[in-house]
Amino acid sequence: MFLRSFAIQGSWNYRTLIGGGFAFALLPALRAIYRGDPEGRDAAVRRHVHIFNSHPYLVGVALGAVSELEAERTDPETIERFKIAVRGALGSLGDALVWAGWRPASALLGLVLVFAGAPWWLGPLVFLLVYNAGHLALRAWGFRIGFRHGRRVGEVLRRANLAHVQRDIARAGALLLGMCLPLLLGNGAAGAIRWPWLAAGVIAATLGLRSGNAARTPIVTAMAVALIAALAYGWLT
Amino acid sequence: MSALLSVLAGGIIGLDTTSFPQAMISRPLVAGALAGWMAGIPAEGAMLGAVLEAFHLAILPIGASKYPESGTATAAAVFAMAWAGPAAHAPAMLLTVMFALGWERIGGGSVNLMRRFNERIAPSGTSPITASAITRRHSAAMLLDFTRGALVTVAGAAIGCLWIQVLASAWVFGPEVARGLLVASAAGSAAAALRLFGGWTLRWPLFVVGAVAGTLMVVIA
Repeated sequence: MFLRSFAIQGSWNYRTLIGGGFAFALLPALRAIYRGDPEGRDAAVRRHVHIFNSHPYLVGVALGAVSELEAERTDPETIERFKIAVRGALGSLGDALVWAGWRPASALLGLVLVFAGAPWWLGPLVFLLVYNAGHLALRAWGFRIGFRHGRRVGEVLRRANLAHVQRDIARAGALLLGMCLPLLLGNGAAGAIRWPWLAAGVIAATLGLRSGNAARTPIVTAMAVALIAALAYGWLT
Repeated sequence: MSALLSVLAGGIIGLDTTSFPQAMISRPLVAGALAGWMAGIPAEGAMLGAVLEAFHLAILPIGASKYPESGTATAAAVFAMAWAGPAAHAPAMLLTVMFALGWERIGGGSVNLMRRFNERIAPSGTSPITASAITRRHSAAMLLDFTRGALVTVAGAAIGCLWIQVLASAWVFGPEVARGLLVASAAGSAAAALRLFGGWTLRWPLFVVGAVAGTLMVVIA
Protein backbone atom coordinates (compact mmCIF):
# COMPACT_ATOMS: atom_id res chain seq x y z
CA MET A 1 0.00 0.00 0.00
CA PHE A 2 2.89 2.31 0.79
CA LEU A 3 4.32 1.95 -2.70
CA ARG A 4 0.88 2.25 -4.31
CA SER A 5 0.32 5.50 -2.41
CA PHE A 6 2.96 7.11 -4.66
CA ALA A 7 0.54 6.58 -7.56
CA ILE A 8 -2.56 7.77 -5.69
CA GLN A 9 -3.13 10.62 -8.16
CA GLY A 10 -2.57 8.51 -11.28
CA SER A 11 -6.19 8.73 -12.44
CA TRP A 12 -6.98 12.19 -11.06
CA ASN A 13 -10.18 13.58 -12.57
CA TYR A 14 -12.68 16.32 -11.79
CA ARG A 15 -15.48 13.88 -10.89
CA THR A 16 -13.93 11.56 -8.30
CA LEU A 17 -10.64 13.44 -7.72
CA ILE A 18 -8.40 10.68 -6.28
CA GLY A 19 -11.23 8.23 -5.65
CA GLY A 20 -9.96 5.73 -8.20
CA GLY A 21 -6.42 6.01 -6.87
CA PHE A 22 -7.64 5.47 -3.33
CA ALA A 23 -9.32 2.20 -4.31
CA PHE A 24 -6.20 1.19 -6.25
CA ALA A 25 -3.92 1.84 -3.27
CA LEU A 26 -6.30 0.09 -0.84
CA LEU A 27 -6.42 -3.10 -2.94
CA PRO A 28 -3.69 -5.07 -1.10
CA ALA A 29 -5.55 -4.58 2.21
CA LEU A 30 -8.89 -5.49 0.65
CA ARG A 31 -7.41 -8.63 -0.94
CA ALA A 32 -6.10 -9.72 2.46
CA ILE A 33 -9.32 -8.87 4.32
CA TYR A 34 -11.61 -10.50 1.77
CA ARG A 35 -9.40 -13.50 0.93
CA GLY A 36 -11.63 -16.24 -0.43
CA ASP A 37 -14.49 -13.77 -0.95
CA PRO A 38 -13.98 -12.08 -4.33
CA GLU A 39 -17.51 -10.68 -4.40
CA GLY A 40 -17.02 -9.09 -1.00
CA ARG A 41 -13.69 -7.70 -2.17
CA ASP A 42 -15.18 -6.23 -5.36
CA ALA A 43 -18.07 -4.73 -3.38
CA ALA A 44 -15.51 -3.09 -1.09
CA VAL A 45 -13.64 -1.77 -4.15
CA ARG A 46 -16.87 -0.23 -5.46
CA ARG A 47 -17.39 1.47 -2.07
CA HIS A 48 -14.04 3.22 -2.34
CA VAL A 49 -14.05 4.62 -5.89
CA HIS A 50 -16.29 7.53 -4.87
CA ILE A 51 -15.05 11.09 -4.63
CA PHE A 52 -12.15 11.51 -2.25
CA ASN A 53 -9.29 13.92 -1.93
CA SER A 54 -6.22 14.34 0.23
CA HIS A 55 -2.75 15.70 0.00
CA PRO A 56 -0.83 12.83 -1.66
CA TYR A 57 1.76 12.64 1.12
CA LEU A 58 -0.90 12.33 3.84
CA VAL A 59 -3.23 9.88 2.11
CA GLY A 60 -1.59 7.12 4.17
CA VAL A 61 -3.51 8.42 7.18
CA ALA A 62 -6.78 7.59 5.44
CA LEU A 63 -5.50 4.38 3.83
CA GLY A 64 -4.23 3.02 7.13
CA ALA A 65 -7.34 3.98 9.07
CA VAL A 66 -9.76 2.69 6.42
CA SER A 67 -7.84 -0.61 6.26
CA GLU A 68 -8.41 -1.01 9.98
CA LEU A 69 -12.10 -0.13 9.63
CA GLU A 70 -12.54 -2.62 6.78
CA ALA A 71 -10.71 -5.30 8.76
CA GLU A 72 -13.13 -4.67 11.67
CA ARG A 73 -16.01 -5.08 9.15
CA THR A 74 -17.27 -1.62 10.04
CA ASP A 75 -20.46 -0.73 8.22
CA PRO A 76 -19.91 1.13 4.92
CA GLU A 77 -21.81 4.26 6.01
CA THR A 78 -19.48 4.75 8.98
CA ILE A 79 -16.41 4.30 6.78
CA GLU A 80 -17.78 6.82 4.27
CA ARG A 81 -18.49 9.35 7.05
CA PHE A 82 -14.95 8.87 8.32
CA LYS A 83 -13.51 9.55 4.85
CA ILE A 84 -15.63 12.67 4.45
CA ALA A 85 -14.53 13.87 7.89
CA VAL A 86 -10.79 13.52 7.28
CA ARG A 87 -10.38 14.51 3.66
CA GLY A 88 -10.58 18.25 4.22
CA ALA A 89 -8.05 18.16 7.04
CA LEU A 90 -5.63 15.97 5.11
CA GLY A 91 -5.80 18.33 2.14
CA SER A 92 -5.37 21.61 3.96
CA LEU A 93 -2.68 20.28 6.32
CA GLY A 94 -0.63 18.98 3.43
CA ASP A 95 -1.06 22.15 1.38
CA ALA A 96 0.14 24.35 4.24
CA LEU A 97 2.95 22.07 5.39
CA VAL A 98 4.30 20.86 2.04
CA TRP A 99 3.28 23.00 -0.94
CA ALA A 100 3.47 26.33 0.89
CA GLY A 101 6.33 25.41 3.24
CA TRP A 102 8.62 22.45 2.77
CA ARG A 103 8.76 22.52 -1.02
CA PRO A 104 9.68 26.22 -1.53
CA ALA A 105 12.08 26.14 1.43
CA SER A 106 13.88 23.06 0.05
CA ALA A 107 13.93 24.60 -3.43
CA LEU A 108 15.53 27.75 -2.03
CA LEU A 109 18.33 25.65 -0.54
CA GLY A 110 19.00 24.27 -4.02
CA LEU A 111 18.77 27.73 -5.58
CA VAL A 112 21.28 29.19 -3.11
CA LEU A 113 23.77 26.52 -4.15
CA VAL A 114 23.17 27.09 -7.88
CA PHE A 115 23.43 30.89 -7.72
CA ALA A 116 26.46 30.67 -5.42
CA GLY A 117 28.30 28.86 -8.20
CA ALA A 118 28.28 25.27 -6.94
CA PRO A 119 28.71 22.45 -9.50
CA TRP A 120 25.66 22.24 -11.74
CA TRP A 121 24.36 18.98 -10.22
CA LEU A 122 24.74 19.93 -6.55
CA GLY A 123 21.81 22.30 -6.11
CA PRO A 124 19.23 20.01 -7.76
CA LEU A 125 20.62 16.95 -5.95
CA VAL A 126 20.59 18.61 -2.52
CA PHE A 127 17.03 19.81 -3.17
CA LEU A 128 15.89 16.29 -4.12
CA LEU A 129 17.58 14.65 -1.14
CA VAL A 130 16.42 17.18 1.45
CA TYR A 131 12.90 17.47 0.06
CA ASN A 132 12.32 13.74 -0.27
CA ALA A 133 13.68 13.03 3.20
CA GLY A 134 10.81 15.13 4.51
CA HIS A 135 8.39 13.75 1.93
CA LEU A 136 9.08 10.11 2.81
CA ALA A 137 9.05 10.81 6.55
CA LEU A 138 5.61 12.43 6.22
CA ARG A 139 4.21 9.54 4.19
CA ALA A 140 5.54 6.96 6.65
CA TRP A 141 4.17 8.94 9.61
CA GLY A 142 0.75 9.12 7.97
CA PHE A 143 0.55 5.37 7.46
CA ARG A 144 1.81 4.71 10.99
CA ILE A 145 -0.82 6.82 12.72
CA GLY A 146 -3.53 5.62 10.34
CA PHE A 147 -2.90 1.95 11.08
CA ARG A 148 -2.31 2.52 14.79
CA HIS A 149 -5.29 4.73 15.57
CA GLY A 150 -7.94 3.81 12.99
CA ARG A 151 -11.12 5.85 13.40
CA ARG A 152 -9.53 7.92 16.22
CA VAL A 153 -6.82 9.26 13.89
CA GLY A 154 -8.65 12.59 13.67
CA GLU A 155 -7.88 13.28 17.32
CA VAL A 156 -4.24 12.34 16.74
CA LEU A 157 -4.03 14.80 13.84
CA ARG A 158 -5.49 17.57 15.99
CA ARG A 159 -3.01 16.84 18.80
CA ALA A 160 -0.03 16.49 16.45
CA ASN A 161 0.91 20.15 16.87
CA LEU A 162 2.37 20.51 13.41
CA ALA A 163 2.16 24.28 13.77
CA HIS A 164 5.66 24.38 15.27
CA VAL A 165 6.99 22.39 12.31
CA GLN A 166 5.33 24.83 9.89
CA ARG A 167 6.79 27.77 11.81
CA ASP A 168 10.33 26.37 11.71
CA ILE A 169 10.04 25.65 7.98
CA ALA A 170 8.76 29.19 7.37
CA ARG A 171 11.67 30.67 9.32
CA ALA A 172 14.17 28.63 7.32
CA GLY A 173 12.44 29.64 4.11
CA ALA A 174 12.59 33.35 4.90
CA LEU A 175 16.31 33.08 5.73
CA LEU A 176 17.08 31.15 2.54
CA LEU A 177 15.05 33.56 0.41
CA GLY A 178 17.06 36.42 1.86
CA MET A 179 20.29 34.62 0.90
CA CYS A 180 19.03 33.69 -2.56
CA LEU A 181 18.09 37.15 -3.83
CA PRO A 182 21.55 38.83 -3.52
CA LEU A 183 23.15 35.74 -5.03
CA LEU A 184 20.76 35.85 -7.99
CA LEU A 185 21.24 39.59 -8.49
CA GLY A 186 24.94 39.60 -7.78
CA ASN A 187 25.95 36.55 -9.78
CA GLY A 188 23.24 37.19 -12.34
CA ALA A 189 22.54 33.74 -13.82
CA ALA A 190 26.09 32.97 -14.92
CA GLY A 191 27.42 36.50 -15.27
CA ALA A 192 27.48 39.82 -13.43
CA ILE A 193 24.95 42.54 -14.25
CA ARG A 194 25.48 46.29 -14.18
CA TRP A 195 23.99 48.62 -11.62
CA PRO A 196 20.92 49.76 -13.62
CA TRP A 197 19.78 46.14 -13.81
CA LEU A 198 20.79 45.59 -10.21
CA ALA A 199 18.59 48.54 -9.26
CA ALA A 200 15.75 47.19 -11.41
CA GLY A 201 16.13 43.85 -9.65
CA VAL A 202 15.98 45.45 -6.21
CA ILE A 203 12.84 47.37 -7.19
CA ALA A 204 11.24 44.20 -8.60
CA ALA A 205 12.20 42.24 -5.49
CA THR A 206 10.69 44.94 -3.25
CA LEU A 207 7.50 44.73 -5.27
CA GLY A 208 7.49 40.96 -4.88
CA LEU A 209 8.14 41.13 -1.13
CA ARG A 210 5.30 43.55 -0.58
CA SER A 211 2.72 42.19 -3.04
CA GLY A 212 3.36 38.45 -3.04
CA ASN A 213 2.12 36.48 -6.01
CA ALA A 214 0.13 39.46 -7.30
CA ALA A 215 3.43 40.98 -8.41
CA ARG A 216 4.33 38.06 -10.65
CA THR A 217 1.99 38.85 -13.53
CA PRO A 218 3.02 42.50 -13.89
CA ILE A 219 6.70 41.54 -13.62
CA VAL A 220 6.46 38.83 -16.27
CA THR A 221 4.33 41.12 -18.46
CA ALA A 222 6.91 43.89 -18.16
CA MET A 223 9.64 41.44 -19.14
CA ALA A 224 7.62 40.31 -22.15
CA VAL A 225 6.88 43.89 -23.25
CA ALA A 226 10.55 44.83 -22.93
CA LEU A 227 11.55 41.77 -24.95
CA ILE A 228 9.02 42.52 -27.70
CA ALA A 229 10.13 46.14 -27.86
CA ALA A 230 13.78 45.15 -28.06
CA LEU A 231 13.12 42.60 -30.81
CA ALA A 232 11.00 45.08 -32.76
CA TYR A 233 13.83 47.61 -32.51
CA GLY A 234 16.27 45.00 -33.78
CA TRP A 235 14.08 44.08 -36.74
CA LEU A 236 13.33 47.66 -37.73
CA THR A 237 16.89 49.02 -37.51
CA MET B 1 18.95 10.47 -30.16
CA SER B 2 18.33 13.80 -28.51
CA ALA B 3 14.71 13.73 -29.66
CA LEU B 4 14.25 10.28 -28.07
CA LEU B 5 15.80 11.56 -24.87
CA SER B 6 13.41 14.51 -24.89
CA VAL B 7 10.51 12.05 -25.16
CA LEU B 8 11.84 10.07 -22.21
CA ALA B 9 12.53 13.18 -20.13
CA GLY B 10 9.13 14.65 -20.91
CA GLY B 11 7.32 11.45 -20.02
CA ILE B 12 9.11 11.06 -16.68
CA ILE B 13 8.71 14.71 -15.76
CA GLY B 14 5.07 14.83 -16.87
CA LEU B 15 4.30 11.72 -14.83
CA ASP B 16 6.03 13.07 -11.73
CA THR B 17 4.04 16.31 -11.81
CA THR B 18 0.88 14.63 -10.53
CA SER B 19 0.60 10.90 -11.18
CA PHE B 20 3.78 9.22 -9.88
CA PRO B 21 5.78 9.58 -7.65
CA GLN B 22 5.64 13.36 -7.00
CA ALA B 23 9.25 13.33 -5.89
CA MET B 24 9.75 16.79 -7.44
CA ILE B 25 11.74 15.60 -10.43
CA SER B 26 9.23 17.81 -12.25
CA ARG B 27 10.29 20.99 -10.48
CA PRO B 28 12.09 23.35 -12.88
CA LEU B 29 15.23 23.20 -10.71
CA VAL B 30 15.55 19.44 -11.29
CA ALA B 31 13.86 19.16 -14.70
CA GLY B 32 16.26 21.74 -16.11
CA ALA B 33 19.33 19.92 -14.81
CA LEU B 34 18.02 16.51 -15.94
CA ALA B 35 17.08 17.73 -19.42
CA GLY B 36 20.35 19.65 -19.69
CA TRP B 37 22.35 16.54 -18.82
CA MET B 38 20.43 14.54 -21.44
CA ALA B 39 20.79 17.27 -24.06
CA GLY B 40 24.53 17.73 -23.50
CA ILE B 41 24.28 21.18 -21.86
CA PRO B 42 24.11 20.29 -18.15
CA ALA B 43 25.34 23.60 -16.71
CA GLU B 44 23.12 25.73 -18.94
CA GLY B 45 20.16 23.45 -18.28
CA ALA B 46 20.68 23.61 -14.54
CA MET B 47 20.92 27.41 -14.60
CA LEU B 48 17.83 27.70 -16.80
CA GLY B 49 16.00 25.41 -14.42
CA ALA B 50 17.10 27.48 -11.44
CA VAL B 51 15.92 30.72 -13.02
CA LEU B 52 12.56 29.17 -13.89
CA GLU B 53 12.31 27.77 -10.37
CA ALA B 54 12.65 31.37 -9.12
CA PHE B 55 9.63 32.29 -11.27
CA HIS B 56 7.59 29.40 -9.84
CA LEU B 57 8.48 29.44 -6.15
CA ALA B 58 5.22 31.04 -5.08
CA ILE B 59 2.85 29.08 -7.37
CA LEU B 60 0.92 26.43 -5.45
CA PRO B 61 -0.90 23.31 -6.79
CA ILE B 62 -3.77 23.62 -4.33
CA GLY B 63 -6.70 21.25 -4.58
CA ALA B 64 -8.36 21.14 -7.97
CA SER B 65 -6.90 24.41 -9.18
CA LYS B 66 -5.69 24.67 -12.76
CA TYR B 67 -2.10 25.86 -12.90
CA PRO B 68 0.71 25.98 -15.47
CA GLU B 69 2.87 22.89 -15.90
CA SER B 70 6.37 24.15 -15.34
CA GLY B 71 8.29 20.85 -15.44
CA THR B 72 7.62 19.80 -19.02
CA ALA B 73 7.93 23.43 -20.15
CA THR B 74 11.38 23.61 -18.54
CA ALA B 75 12.49 20.37 -20.19
CA ALA B 76 11.16 21.55 -23.55
CA ALA B 77 12.94 24.88 -23.15
CA VAL B 78 16.26 23.21 -22.32
CA PHE B 79 16.10 20.89 -25.32
CA ALA B 80 15.07 23.85 -27.48
CA MET B 81 18.12 25.79 -26.31
CA ALA B 82 20.37 22.81 -26.99
CA TRP B 83 18.94 22.26 -30.48
CA ALA B 84 19.11 26.00 -31.32
CA GLY B 85 22.86 25.81 -30.89
CA PRO B 86 25.51 28.32 -29.80
CA ALA B 87 24.69 30.87 -32.51
CA ALA B 88 21.70 31.97 -30.44
CA HIS B 89 23.72 32.26 -27.25
CA ALA B 90 23.51 35.97 -26.38
CA PRO B 91 19.79 36.25 -25.77
CA ALA B 92 19.18 32.48 -25.63
CA MET B 93 18.39 32.20 -21.95
CA LEU B 94 16.01 35.18 -21.98
CA LEU B 95 14.18 33.88 -25.07
CA THR B 96 14.08 30.36 -23.63
CA VAL B 97 12.66 31.49 -20.29
CA MET B 98 9.99 33.56 -22.06
CA PHE B 99 9.11 30.56 -24.18
CA ALA B 100 8.87 28.29 -21.13
CA LEU B 101 6.62 30.77 -19.31
CA GLY B 102 4.25 30.63 -22.27
CA TRP B 103 4.54 26.90 -23.05
CA GLU B 104 3.69 25.95 -19.48
CA ARG B 105 0.14 27.17 -20.20
CA ILE B 106 -0.06 24.62 -23.01
CA GLY B 107 1.16 21.94 -20.63
CA GLY B 108 -1.37 23.03 -18.04
CA GLY B 109 -4.12 22.91 -20.65
CA SER B 110 -3.10 19.37 -21.61
CA VAL B 111 -3.33 18.33 -17.94
CA ASN B 112 -6.83 19.80 -17.79
CA LEU B 113 -7.88 17.85 -20.92
CA MET B 114 -6.38 14.66 -19.54
CA ARG B 115 -8.28 15.07 -16.27
CA ARG B 116 -11.51 15.54 -18.22
CA PHE B 117 -10.73 12.39 -20.20
CA ASN B 118 -9.99 10.51 -16.97
CA GLU B 119 -13.60 11.16 -15.91
CA ARG B 120 -14.65 8.73 -18.64
CA ILE B 121 -12.39 5.94 -17.47
CA ALA B 122 -12.80 6.55 -13.75
CA PRO B 123 -15.39 4.12 -12.41
CA SER B 124 -18.49 5.24 -10.58
CA GLY B 125 -19.71 3.39 -7.54
CA THR B 126 -22.61 1.86 -9.46
CA SER B 127 -20.59 0.48 -12.34
CA PRO B 128 -19.68 -3.25 -12.20
CA ILE B 129 -16.08 -2.53 -11.36
CA THR B 130 -13.73 -5.24 -10.15
CA ALA B 131 -10.39 -5.15 -8.42
CA SER B 132 -8.47 -6.05 -11.59
CA ALA B 133 -10.39 -3.48 -13.63
CA ILE B 134 -9.43 -0.75 -11.16
CA THR B 135 -5.77 -1.62 -11.63
CA ARG B 136 -6.09 -1.63 -15.41
CA ARG B 137 -7.87 1.73 -15.54
CA HIS B 138 -5.51 3.36 -13.09
CA SER B 139 -2.48 2.08 -15.02
CA ALA B 140 -3.99 3.25 -18.30
CA ALA B 141 -4.46 6.74 -16.90
CA MET B 142 -0.82 6.83 -15.81
CA LEU B 143 0.35 5.67 -19.23
CA LEU B 144 -1.75 8.44 -20.75
CA ASP B 145 -0.06 10.98 -18.48
CA PHE B 146 3.40 9.72 -19.46
CA THR B 147 2.47 10.00 -23.16
CA ARG B 148 0.99 13.45 -22.65
CA GLY B 149 4.13 14.68 -20.90
CA ALA B 150 6.33 13.27 -23.65
CA LEU B 151 4.29 14.88 -26.43
CA VAL B 152 4.12 18.27 -24.71
CA THR B 153 7.88 18.23 -24.17
CA VAL B 154 9.00 17.16 -27.63
CA ALA B 155 6.51 19.50 -29.35
CA GLY B 156 7.62 22.32 -27.09
CA ALA B 157 11.27 21.61 -27.78
CA ALA B 158 10.72 21.75 -31.54
CA ILE B 159 8.64 24.92 -31.45
CA GLY B 160 10.96 26.49 -28.89
CA CYS B 161 13.98 25.80 -31.05
CA LEU B 162 12.34 27.66 -33.94
CA TRP B 163 11.35 30.47 -31.57
CA ILE B 164 14.95 30.94 -30.42
CA GLN B 165 16.50 30.68 -33.87
CA VAL B 166 14.06 33.15 -35.45
CA LEU B 167 14.11 35.73 -32.65
CA ALA B 168 17.77 35.58 -31.64
CA SER B 169 18.87 37.30 -34.85
CA ALA B 170 16.76 40.34 -33.95
CA TRP B 171 18.47 40.85 -30.58
CA VAL B 172 20.97 43.71 -30.93
CA PHE B 173 21.57 44.62 -27.29
CA GLY B 174 24.14 42.01 -26.31
CA PRO B 175 24.15 39.31 -23.61
CA GLU B 176 24.36 41.61 -20.60
CA VAL B 177 21.07 43.39 -21.28
CA ALA B 178 19.36 40.05 -21.86
CA ARG B 179 20.77 38.71 -18.60
CA GLY B 180 19.88 41.88 -16.67
CA LEU B 181 16.27 41.85 -17.81
CA LEU B 182 15.95 38.16 -16.96
CA VAL B 183 17.62 38.36 -13.56
CA ALA B 184 15.65 41.41 -12.44
CA SER B 185 12.37 39.71 -13.38
CA ALA B 186 13.37 36.44 -11.70
CA ALA B 187 14.30 38.28 -8.50
CA GLY B 188 10.93 39.99 -8.38
CA SER B 189 9.04 36.73 -8.90
CA ALA B 190 11.15 34.85 -6.35
CA ALA B 191 10.68 37.55 -3.72
CA ALA B 192 6.93 36.93 -3.84
CA ALA B 193 7.59 33.64 -2.01
CA LEU B 194 8.11 35.51 1.28
CA ARG B 195 4.32 35.61 1.57
CA LEU B 196 4.35 31.81 1.85
CA PHE B 197 6.63 32.05 4.88
CA GLY B 198 4.54 34.61 6.73
CA GLY B 199 5.22 37.84 4.87
CA TRP B 200 7.48 40.81 5.45
CA THR B 201 5.98 41.99 8.77
CA LEU B 202 6.59 38.65 10.45
CA ARG B 203 9.79 37.45 8.78
CA TRP B 204 11.81 40.58 7.96
CA PRO B 205 14.53 39.94 10.58
CA LEU B 206 15.38 36.50 9.22
CA PHE B 207 15.06 37.72 5.65
CA VAL B 208 17.50 40.57 6.35
CA VAL B 209 19.97 38.20 8.05
CA GLY B 210 19.80 35.99 4.98
CA ALA B 211 20.21 38.96 2.66
CA VAL B 212 23.32 40.09 4.52
CA ALA B 213 24.75 36.58 4.33
CA GLY B 214 23.98 36.33 0.63
CA THR B 215 25.52 39.73 -0.05
CA LEU B 216 28.69 38.76 1.82
CA MET B 217 28.90 35.59 -0.26
CA VAL B 218 28.73 37.67 -3.44
CA VAL B 219 31.28 40.22 -2.25
CA ILE B 220 33.78 37.70 -0.88
CA ALA B 221 33.57 35.29 -3.84
